[in-house]
Amino acid sequence: MRKIAVLTVVAMALAMVLSPLAFSARKTIIKIGINAPLTGDIPKVGEGTKYAAQMWLEDIEKAGGLEVGGQKYEVELVIEDNESKAESAVKANTKMITQDDVLAIIGPQSSKQAVPAGEVANKYKTVMISPWSTNPNTTLDRPYVFRGCFLDPFQGPVVANFITDEFGFTKAAVLYDVASDYPKGLAEVFKQAWEEKHGAGSVVAYESFTTKDTDFSSQLTKIVKSGAQVLFTPQYYNEVPLIVSQAKNLGWDGPIVGSDSWGSAETVELCGEACYGLFFSSHYAAAGAKGATKAFIDRYENTYGYIPDDVAALTWDALRLAQQAIQDAGKLTGRIEKDREAVRDALAQIKDFDGITGKMTFTEEGDPIKCAVIVKINNQGEYEFYGSSCP
Amino acid sequence: MGILQKFKQMFSTVPMLGWFLGIFTAVLIEYFWGYDYISYYLGLPKIPVLFGALIMLKEPVMIPGALAYDLVVYVIPVLAVAKLSCFITNPGAALLEKLPLWLSAVIHLVCFYGILHLWAGINDYRVLVVKLTLVSIILTVSINVINGYQGEFSCSHPGFMALGAYVSSILTLILFTNDKIFGTALLPPALGPYLFPLVLVAGGAAAAIGSLAVAIPSFRTRGDYLAIISLAFMFIVKSAVENLNFIGGARGMGGQPDLAPLPVIFIWTLLCIWVIHNFVTSILGKALNTVRDDEAAAESMTVKTRKTKMTAFMFGAFWAGIAGGLFAHVLTYINPGMFSINRLAEILAMVYFGGLNSIVGSIVGAVSINVLGEALRPLELFKWIIIPLILIFVMIFRPYGLISFTEINTKKLLQAKHKRQQGVSP
Repeated sequence: MRKIAVLTVVAMALAMVLSPLAFSARKTIIKIGINAPLTGDIPKVGEGTKYAAQMWLEDIEKAGGLEVGGQKYEVELVIEDNESKAESAVKANTKMITQDDVLAIIGPQSSKQAVPAGEVANKYKTVMISPWSTNPNTTLDRPYVFRGCFLDPFQGPVVANFITDEFGFTKAAVLYDVASDYPKGLAEVFKQAWEEKHGAGSVVAYESFTTKDTDFSSQLTKIVKSGAQVLFTPQYYNEVPLIVSQAKNLGWDGPIVGSDSWGSAETVELCGEACYGLFFSSHYAAAGAKGATKAFIDRYENTYGYIPDDVAALTWDALRLAQQAIQDAGKLTGRIEKDREAVRDALAQIKDFDGITGKMTFTEEGDPIKCAVIVKINNQGEYEFYGSSCP
Repeated sequence: MGILQKFKQMFSTVPMLGWFLGIFTAVLIEYFWGYDYISYYLGLPKIPVLFGALIMLKEPVMIPGALAYDLVVYVIPVLAVAKLSCFITNPGAALLEKLPLWLSAVIHLVCFYGILHLWAGINDYRVLVVKLTLVSIILTVSINVINGYQGEFSCSHPGFMALGAYVSSILTLILFTNDKIFGTALLPPALGPYLFPLVLVAGGAAAAIGSLAVAIPSFRTRGDYLAIISLAFMFIVKSAVENLNFIGGARGMGGQPDLAPLPVIFIWTLLCIWVIHNFVTSILGKALNTVRDDEAAAESMTVKTRKTKMTAFMFGAFWAGIAGGLFAHVLTYINPGMFSINRLAEILAMVYFGGLNSIVGSIVGAVSINVLGEALRPLELFKWIIIPLILIFVMIFRPYGLISFTEINTKKLLQAKHKRQQGVSP
């Protein structure tokens, strides 16, 4: 009995050592890290990120790998969950950089994770592209950190200009979440831009609430009574439907305008007909898209069963940017520190990159110069292109 | 059972020093041969960070390789060296026994830190995990003073932590960095590491003062009502920070200098454990237990219940503030959302999982929740099913947590294990 046991153990050990896995030389594999909120407050955003990344990988695999300097390399995705928490995003970045040896990182999406995670990426000199983070601090003084979207200081005036030109209104109201950095920042920028245009006091109601509030009736009553002609609310998909339906119930009949955070597919699904005919600024419009954008949308819809939101589109662009940079780097030495630096230099040089969310050129800070799109929710509940504004 | 008993008996002669030597050998093996030879021949892409847990869950193909790595690098060397070195480590331990206990403990701790530093130093991800785990230990031990020893159900620990984190961050930003908000550095940044303890203490003091807002109502309310007051305190702190624009508001505050390397955090953790241990075993500490068990009886036996409660709250809050300060300087970024209900759930899980009224229990709770959280990371959503399930089972089978109401005997832990003791055990 004992002999059999010993023999089995020895045999297993031999099998392990002699298995084809062992003695395999370490190949140079291009690893791309994805730092996404797969669990936590905004899992839909994480899902979009993951799906877009998987589609990208499919393309690369179909081509038999990524060709850099005449040689084809295998590509691998390292998808990490950041639980929508800052310290978890920092841990995920540290792990991907020091343990998995990723060449570049895509994500995190929200600014509250992208700001601290960017610090890590910059410290270890690894390229990080945050597709969706709009906080200026994400890329500020960090040569290795880039982003895939425009910033709030650009988006605010775009919305203010659009409302003025489209409706000719002079009195606006703002309703925003004071505890969340993106709505708060954008609300401030919008107020400033609006008051520059129409004079001090033209924002007649500037009301706030706190994350996870579901009853906005007191703020909305004030807004309705203030005589505002338009309501601007830069909120996420879980709050927009509540705000819109409560406003209508309280007798609000003016337009409600939003920002790129409305872009999720869930907004219309939860809001229904109440949201039809409303406008928001965004990175791209799904309905009526042409060319590569349409190809992406159709493919995504066929594979996953719903129209991709802007996060998925921006992630796709960020991955393509990373791919472009890796190819532009010329050749891979296999020494990860050197390759990361080469990729960073190549990325900073990219001019007029033709993404599905528009043409992009990076500034010195790593922020893209690109156009914003005004989207109208049409009567079928689709996001339709209405106009665009370029810097 | 027979084999397990035999196994246990075989290693019962190994003193703590012997285990340290074994682990030290294992870490040296990993350090010198881990990447180039062992993991290479086992087909692993790199040294597995957390004993292979991550790679095993992500790629099941790697399970044999990762297990073999653990066996070759950790299990076999640790057991072999620990057993074979008995002839030298036992006399060594006996020699240390003659020294005063504190000196012997310090020597052991220095050895432990050396091993930890070497092990973590192999990969920066390990360093980060160890740092955050140590911060969690401070948090858990400090909340145990209030929730365990003093028996209140306080929910304001994230609030205390936020106070400490913000006050110390503001101080370091004013003093040692050229910041957009606070202007140029008042002191040369080189002084940072030396004055950092003072900064942390200031953060702790702010948290202690803040805790009076919960401690004073606790004179008249207990139980659920105090829990609600403390919960309110946590939300007040969070909302206040969100609305203070000069410290970043909801956008958070970043750019803190990296003043919290591993040794600094380790020393603070030790200091916290030592001070809190002395506190809860002192007369005042014993008074905490009497207030918990029967406040009226304690009062009639001349225990000053008000003073006791205030001290417990301020003391627990002070260390939570220190933990917050360290946390802020590890991440070099904080925002008010970090110190909210999620953090509270995490802290409470750690303290109730590990065990009330026990410092060892708190350490066990903090380490296991942190390591589990990291090791199960590849499971994504299922991680949030598995960890709560484990918690539920612990609560069913051990309602007061894994190790509660007891402490380990340091002297017994560190002493030499001679053959003579073996006869006694069955």
